Amino acid sequence: MNPSPVRAVERSTAAHLVPRPSRPPRPPGTWTAYRWELVKLAALVRTRAVLAGVLIAPPLVVLVLRGQRPPADTLFGRHVHDSGFAVPLLLLGFATQYLFPLLTSIVAGDVFASEDQHGTWKTLLTRSVSRTQVFRAKTLAAVTFAAAVLVVLGGSAIASGVLLVGTQPLTGLSGQSIGAPQAAALVAAAWASTAAPLLGYTALAVLLSVRTRNPALGVVGPLVLGLLMGLVGSLGGTGRLRRALLSTPLEAWHGLFTATPVTGPLVQGALVSLAWTAVCLAVAHRTLVRRDITGG
Amino acid sequence: MPTVVRVTSEPTTAERAVAAPRAGWAVRAEGLTKRYGTLTAVDGISVHVAEGEVHGMLGPNGAGKTTFLRMLFGLVRPDAGVLEVLGRSWSRDGNATLDGVAGFLESPRFYPYLSGRRNLQLLAGLDGGTAPGRVEEVLDVVDLTGRETEAVAGYSFGMRQRLGVAASLLRDPRLLVLDEPANGLDPAGIRDMRALVARLAASGLTVLLSSHDMDEVEQVCDDVTIMKRGSVAHHGPIAELRRQAPPQAHLLRTSDDTRALELAQGRPGLEVARAGAELAVRGTQGAVDLYVSVVVRAGLAVRSLTLGEAPLEALFFLLTEPAPAEGPPAGPDGQEVHP
Repeated sequence: MNPSPVRAVERSTAAHLVPRPSRPPRPPGTWTAYRWELVKLAALVRTRAVLAGVLIAPPLVVLVLRGQRPPADTLFGRHVHDSGFAVPLLLLGFATQYLFPLLTSIVAGDVFASEDQHGTWKTLLTRSVSRTQVFRAKTLAAVTFAAAVLVVLGGSAIASGVLLVGTQPLTGLSGQSIGAPQAAALVAAAWASTAAPLLGYTALAVLLSVRTRNPALGVVGPLVLGLLMGLVGSLGGTGRLRRALLSTPLEAWHGLFTATPVTGPLVQGALVSLAWTAVCLAVAHRTLVRRDITGG
Repeated sequence: MPTVVRVTSEPTTAERAVAAPRAGWAVRAEGLTKRYGTLTAVDGISVHVAEGEVHGMLGPNGAGKTTFLRMLFGLVRPDAGVLEVLGRSWSRDGNATLDGVAGFLESPRFYPYLSGRRNLQLLAGLDGGTAPGRVEEVLDVVDLTGRETEAVAGYSFGMRQRLGVAASLLRDPRLLVLDEPANGLDPAGIRDMRALVARLAASGLTVLLSSHDMDEVEQVCDDVTIMKRGSVAHHGPIAELRRQAPPQAHLLRTSDDTRALELAQGRPGLEVARAGAELAVRGTQGAVDLYVSVVVRAGLAVRSLTLGEAPLEALFFLLTEPAPAEGPPAGPDGQEVHP
């Protein structure tokens, strides 16, 4: 048997129940909704665990690699004992293949679908915020988390390399030696260049989250699609298609480390990523705004 | 049976009085329709709820009550018709339509990993903030003080219902919409919920109460809309419904029901019919008393004589249950329509 819902009614005064005329003090907007989305994210164990994980993982990787032969078959792997700048590039290469699509999706793929999972759409949408405001707030929260992952992982990777290995010159992809100041700038630029495709993956996860209403598909979907795009991109004779894939911009930073830097793919990759972002978010927004909320 | 039950769309005089255009409608729906594919969940209904009224929405599962309330809250969009809430409409005013409106649909849902208080703070934030201490005040009203710091995941069903009421009161509404608020509550909880609704109504609040319990609606509502398979079967004052209700039924078991049926032939103001293993006897109390005495004098043993369903309840079933030729009710498995 459940307890009384309003046992205290008899001892409460009528003043508790009578509506108060002075409300709301100000109409809530996207920023208010965004702030509460961040509160909800901060309360989730998995978001804190992911951020803690990307902070701790790079120094652990460096410590593990110290006692081993360098992974010569990976990009910059053979130089991890020679230059601290090779460490964040080795980690970046790994992150762009698997980690980024997965880590950004942990929030972006769940942020809408979790409302379906908890049946809270009707709770959220019967308050004073519009669907568009909720969409913007949730998307901004997902982007904030993706940016936090990028900054924390990149910062931790660079700091781990520099502090645990050193600031020796970096050997570039053409075999040229890159001095420490320039190497530091290029490494930072390489990590920053993934911001645009990361935004694209976040938007893709948002779209899957809205369309599937399933947190698992929203989280795993971008990783699977990213791997598929990588596979398609690696096939021969797909030049034009390859340039349009979201996985390609994640490799554009390679051009920064050749003897003659190649920046064209970076610009093209940013444009492709922004196009993916715009299309995914437009479809997701339209889906949410037009949707009938019937469950929960 | 002498009682005529109207289930057509032709309005009664009382309904015309209720439905006549006038200022001060809390809810005004005209020709409202919602379809899910080939299924028409709400079929051109017109519903009017005056400000300050406690209005009941009755109907079996699948009747379209919740779909109507979802349209009211803007959660689903109608395919046709007009729907105004406190003078605003979703098509014209967007989210401002919900200004002054609060409530919950089916069981209220919250973020399970947040505490009860944090959930209320979040919802208050999404309303643009609330006066200091208001969250604690509504928590006290629903008797959740002392449990407000616990995660909602650990709340019982009844506690979540109470938190739902608190979340609604937080908006200081002029129109409170409650969908089956007594669902899952124990008898004391149901009693207190009804007391709360009555007190809210006494404070001038308009209350729209959805239920499938005729008794609950009869106790707290002034007017009622009864829905059946997406249509309005009755819309008007409870008093009007009472006038239409059939006489109280009595259930009679005798040593020879066939003979008892014969004895009922030709008796004015009395209707006797088989109802399972019993005889359903309908008529004025005097006619029933006289009939029972005739049965006893004829040498038949009266093995039991009990009251049947209440008149309003009987009318509700007559209004909402399909006639034999109508086929099964709308909605999959007799459930409310939620595609």
